[in-house]
Amino acid sequence: MIELYAITDDPGPPLPDVAGLRLVPFDGLAAVYTPASDAELSPETLWRHEEVVEALMADRDVLPVRYGTRLEDEAAVAHAVGERRDELAAALDRVRGAVELSVRVVPAREAPRPPDHGETRSGADYLRVRALAEAGRSEAAHALQEPLAALARATTEGRPRPPELFRAAYLVERGAVDSFVAVVARLQGANPALAILCTGPWPPYSFADR
Amino acid sequence: MTTIAERDVALVDLVDKLLGGGVVIAGDITLAVADVDLVYVQLRALISSVATAQDKQLLPRMGGAL
Repeated sequence: MIELYAITDDPGPPLPDVAGLRLVPFDGLAAVYTPASDAELSPETLWRHEEVVEALMADRDVLPVRYGTRLEDEAAVAHAVGERRDELAAALDRVRGAVELSVRVVPAREAPRPPDHGETRSGADYLRVRALAEAGRSEAAHALQEPLAALARATTEGRPRPPELFRAAYLVERGAVDSFVAVVARLQGANPALAILCTGPWPPYSFADR
Repeated sequence: MTTIAERDVALVDLVDKLLGGGVVIAGDITLAVADVDLVYVQLRALISSVATAQDKQLLPRMGGAL
């Protein structure tokens, strides 16, 4: 069994010397793989997979393949790629020259307290004031989308998982990553009630199949 | 914020991206749905701790250089 990591252009630069990578060329594309490992699913195995894809991304465009994609042998890979060759080439073109940045927004640990109007002492008043503060944070979190999306080639919003208020992924030109990070820093400074969790650059996982 | 906490924040994104993203080439992805659920269960503590352990923080990248 072999395990796929990414689709890239063929020919491309020499494969990085990690994990014993090999490739299956198919009509201008190449599927990069290693022999499948028996490692159990864990954060460490996920990171190892990620490091391989990042090593590829360092000097070429990559269309990351869904984690856990295993096929019998090279012939099976060539068949699978061949069946969707044009679709995969188009998808690789869509992410060409770009990386993915991830943004999740959660309430800041020490969010500013809502203004205390002196008489807001009852439980109902307290809950009302707190609800207002929460609604305000949620609104502020969603207001981040426009300035961030303006710097991206494409955006995909995800469903926030509590306590997240907002989550999205951005497809950003490699040369625009610093600008994006600077905007995140500016937005963070302007929104002390929020913690903006920005990670990346990632391979364009969230933009590989659309 | 410590480096370990940063890595935890990135791990949440990593799991989302690897298990939920990437192009689907062949129909048979060996990762069972139960495995994915297990990872999320393991991560739930991390995800929920982000709100309490995390101050306002901008995270630089986690892996190699561009």
